[in-house]
Amino acid sequence: MFGDSFFFISEAFTSLKRSGIMIIISIATIAVSLIVFGVFLLLTANLNNIAEFVTSKLEIRVYLNNSMTVSEIQNFKTEIAEMPSVKSVEFISKDIAWDVFKKSFQKLELNDLVGINPLPDSFKVSMYNGREVKKVAKYLEDKFSGYVDDVGYTGHIAERIEMLAACAKYGGLGLVVFLTLATLFIIVNTIRLTVLARNDEIEIMLLVGATKYFIRGPFIIEGFIMGVTGGGAAVSFLYFFYLLFATKIQETIPFFPLVFDKDKLNSIYAVVLLLGAVLGTLGAYISVSKSLSYENMRIRK
Amino acid sequence: MIRIHYLEKEYDNGFLALNGINLHIAKDEFVYLVGSSGAGKSTLLKLLFSVEKPTSGDVFIDSVSLKTLPSKQIPYLRRNIGVIFQDFKLLPRRTVFENVAFALQVMHYQRYRIRKQVTQVLELVGLQEKMSNFPSELSGGEQQRICIARAIVNNPPILLADEPTGSLDPDTSWEIMQLLSKINARRTTVIVATHDKGIVDDIRKRVVALENGRIIRDSELGSYN
Ligand SMILES: Nc1ncnc2c1ncn2[C@@H]1O[C@H](COP(=O)(O)OP(=O)(O)OP(=O)(O)O)[C@@H](O)[C@H]1O
Ligand SMILES: [Mg+2]
Repeated sequence: MFGDSFFFISEAFTSLKRSGIMIIISIATIAVSLIVFGVFLLLTANLNNIAEFVTSKLEIRVYLNNSMTVSEIQNFKTEIAEMPSVKSVEFISKDIAWDVFKKSFQKLELNDLVGINPLPDSFKVSMYNGREVKKVAKYLEDKFSGYVDDVGYTGHIAERIEMLAACAKYGGLGLVVFLTLATLFIIVNTIRLTVLARNDEIEIMLLVGATKYFIRGPFIIEGFIMGVTGGGAAVSFLYFFYLLFATKIQETIPFFPLVFDKDKLNSIYAVVLLLGAVLGTLGAYISVSKSLSYENMRIRK
Repeated sequence: MIRIHYLEKEYDNGFLALNGINLHIAKDEFVYLVGSSGAGKSTLLKLLFSVEKPTSGDVFIDSVSLKTLPSKQIPYLRRNIGVIFQDFKLLPRRTVFENVAFALQVMHYQRYRIRKQVTQVLELVGLQEKMSNFPSELSGGEQQRICIARAIVNNPPILLADEPTGSLDPDTSWEIMQLLSKINARRTTVIVATHDKGIVDDIRKRVVALENGRIIRDSELGSYN
């Protein structure tokens, strides 16, 4: 079969050369649909990043009764820390809280206005999962009503972010399937044009005893080359524009949680390139198979 | 070599193109298939190399039933049957050499064998000087000869020709028929569908006459009428 691969590859290149401008248009079409696909992947990755970032900032504040002793506080802290969904517990004494508060509102000159510290001691409870915040807050409030004055949490935002992330995930999955099919459709039809241009040749090959495998070979190589080239063009485009765009955003909003992780970005670009290769190959297979039948060929007189 | 048994062919539109054909053709035979336009000559040839399937009855080539031949086997059947098409079916953007070599590439021949066999066959049909030309640079008779060269380059046991002299002048037609006789003499079964009364009467062979999809005459060394 080594001889065949040589034949396939040289045929594929001959055909690519012959098709000229047509091939450039086809590759551009493939590149554009892969860019749409890649933009979508980048958007999803960033949305997930933002969701993760916001979720990691979620916390419960447990405001403690003034009457608690130091050992009671210590025991309570241990009890909360041992809950499986709790990541960490930090004790914030009322003095520290007051200092922080005063620092945040320096202009008010609070010392002059308020004589004694009005804030209670509190725990800052961080969670592993944003979804658990509401449940845990309610639990703490009910179970320890004797110790606890109040429980505050950012649960409403947490729930929304969670929902948004879920929507992005499932809606995104549907969109990925749709975009993949759309790209495949475009590739099939693009390669179909080069197949149709060579229908006579295919017919003659079939008549002199070529197998379908043999006829598909060059077209599949051609599809693969087109897919990889289109994918490469799409990746270069995505790479430069994402860099430009992300840098611009970061200049405006310095701590906006965009994806800058090289590995994550590279894996997205790899997916786009791989998709180009796979869709190019598959598209060629489908579009050439439409022209392949051993029987019922018209034999013109 | 070829056995045709109560063969019927009805096209998808319901037209009955062949009706109750029985025919035996031995190895080494040279047969003319004659009959007016629409008699069913091309249809019969198409059934022989499985471009169409029998509606009922069967065709056996070397005892292989074409009716039950799996699709996947069709390419291998075709490699045993060379076909000369009336419209030549040459690739315009390939040279004479490449057009003939094409048939061997399809059969996975090695490069040195392709070069050797194509050169030999082009000598046989008298085109060795025109190897690097494109088909459009050749005359009708020369193009017909490329087509013959391609059909016989792998020495198939059977050669089918659909009106090989259809568009040629009498002298060229006669040369082409001499070439086909020569190929027949190399132990190849040759079947020629033709309208060419002059040729059939001149170069006497077995004649099978078709009319409305039936065989109306089958005579050794017969004439056109
Ligand atoms: N694909 C087809 N579908 C329907 N009818 C067809 C088809 N091909 C051929 N026919 C009909 O079958 C009949 C026989 O056709 P065929 O081509 O075998 O004739 P022929 O003897 O080769 O004629 P000619 O000498 O003109 O080449 C014709 O009437 C034709 O109209
Ligand atoms: Mg005919």
